[in-house]
Amino acid sequence: MADSIEDRFAVETELLGLKLLPGQEATLRAAYAALRDAIALVGADYGFEAEPAHVFVPTPGKARGP
Amino acid sequence: MTASDPCFLSVAEAAALIAAKRLSPVELVHSYLARIERLDGALHAYVRVLPDEALAAARAAEAEIAAGHYRGPLHGIPIGLKDIYDTARVATEGGSKLCLGRVPASDGTTVRLLKQAGAILLGKLTTWEFAIGGTAFDTPFPPVRNPWNRERDPAGSSSGSGAAVAAGLCAMAMGSDTGGSIRWPAAWCGLAGLKPTYGRVSRAGIMPLSFSLDHAGPLVWTVEDAAIVLQVIAGYDQRDPGSVDRPVPDYRAALASPDLKGVRLAIPRAIFERDSSASEAMASAFEAAVEVLRGLGAAIAEIELPPLALYNATASLITRSEGFAIHEKTLRERPLDYGALARDRLTIGAYVRASDMVQAMRRRLMLVEATNAAMEGFDAMLLPTCPDPPAVLGELGPYFDNRRPMYMRPFNLTGQPALSLCNGFEDTGLPLSLQIVGRHFDEATVLRIGHAYERATPWRERRPPL
Repeated sequence: MADSIEDRFAVETELLGLKLLPGQEATLRAAYAALRDAIALVGADYGFEAEPAHVFVPTPGKARGP
Repeated sequence: MTASDPCFLSVAEAAALIAAKRLSPVELVHSYLARIERLDGALHAYVRVLPDEALAAARAAEAEIAAGHYRGPLHGIPIGLKDIYDTARVATEGGSKLCLGRVPASDGTTVRLLKQAGAILLGKLTTWEFAIGGTAFDTPFPPVRNPWNRERDPAGSSSGSGAAVAAGLCAMAMGSDTGGSIRWPAAWCGLAGLKPTYGRVSRAGIMPLSFSLDHAGPLVWTVEDAAIVLQVIAGYDQRDPGSVDRPVPDYRAALASPDLKGVRLAIPRAIFERDSSASEAMASAFEAAVEVLRGLGAAIAEIELPPLALYNATASLITRSEGFAIHEKTLRERPLDYGALARDRLTIGAYVRASDMVQAMRRRLMLVEATNAAMEGFDAMLLPTCPDPPAVLGELGPYFDNRRPMYMRPFNLTGQPALSLCNGFEDTGLPLSLQIVGRHFDEATVLRIGHAYERATPWRERRPPL
């Protein structure tokens, strides 16, 4: 298991099959760290029944479609 | 530009003169074309000017009006479109090398509605690459300069739209807003910018960035102009899966009230004091605006919202995922054809797992409900649009929103209508901005508040020193 952010980034990049361009690795690694922070903040500890927002429709309208 | 220059007129003012046959749409288009010719070489607001098409449309409008067939307040009004709006037989390139020479066969829905209302397309306006790429120096399109100070950034992603309206290079411009891309350039260019409720205005025929966060709306000189444009573009469209079928009220009529008696406004102060502190100039302009609104009769109280970082993190995961899904194929096959900023900002979405995205959508629903609950009993919220006045061009950096989180993304996430408008200038002459956020589908109240504020303050008397 990769422990550090750098290691996790490297492992996931390989798993995703991404071929990074010269110079891209450093900027993406920084973005990856921010992304991990965002994921941690959003969290994963939701109630079993917690429904996600679907395509966001704030107030029910009439039936959509043709 | 002089006070008598027609490029100085708001949409409402120009429309009144055109309706009275005291202003010729042909002369108006000539004035704008001359001004574009004179100024845009240094501003780069336009990627494509359409002089022949605009003049032909202006002649047709003039003849129609002369024959007694006036269509309404956009008839004969010259406009610009962010270059992600599909235009029939006119290249729409999204600010990217990947789309050079891309010519849509048909107009997007909002473009069709604007043309039906008689608006005249002057040209296509510079956008950040695919509405995400940032102020880039490695795409085929040079970055836009801020008309208030050409060494400053006009913000984005609707950067050309903001600069063009501020500089008097068109009367109105359309933009798109996934995390603030209408409101931010409106703020930094001293304009009004309206992100309507999600579902209120069709996005069909606009290049997508993030399906569930994208919004379309106008950047204009005055709030009244925003009401005029919204009247034309609002409404259900079955071509947009996010569109909602709701009655469209008379937005301009909502502006008639001379004061704000009975209006209840909420201030989520922790957002711009605790979570991401506004600069001194932005904060003091905000407090002054609150006093103006109080003086107009509004009742004002403070509320608590969830932390700004939680809104922004949630929106970030959604934007990254949806953006990567749209661009994955071309990112893998033609990565060198993206500018570096767009390439990085889109590629990072590959690292968001499916379950992360679902958790973000769960969090999103909670945040929508928490925001609605906090606004219970209020008609609208007030906060600054962003923490800082315009940055030096090229100095934003790729992760500016992590360093200085702005105050717009929460309302892409919740889908509420949000208006940014000028609320003063700092000592250097750069514009400051106030944001008014309404309840879902209540753009009328947001516009009413903004219009009342605008009429009570002198900020529309000043234009960029060009």
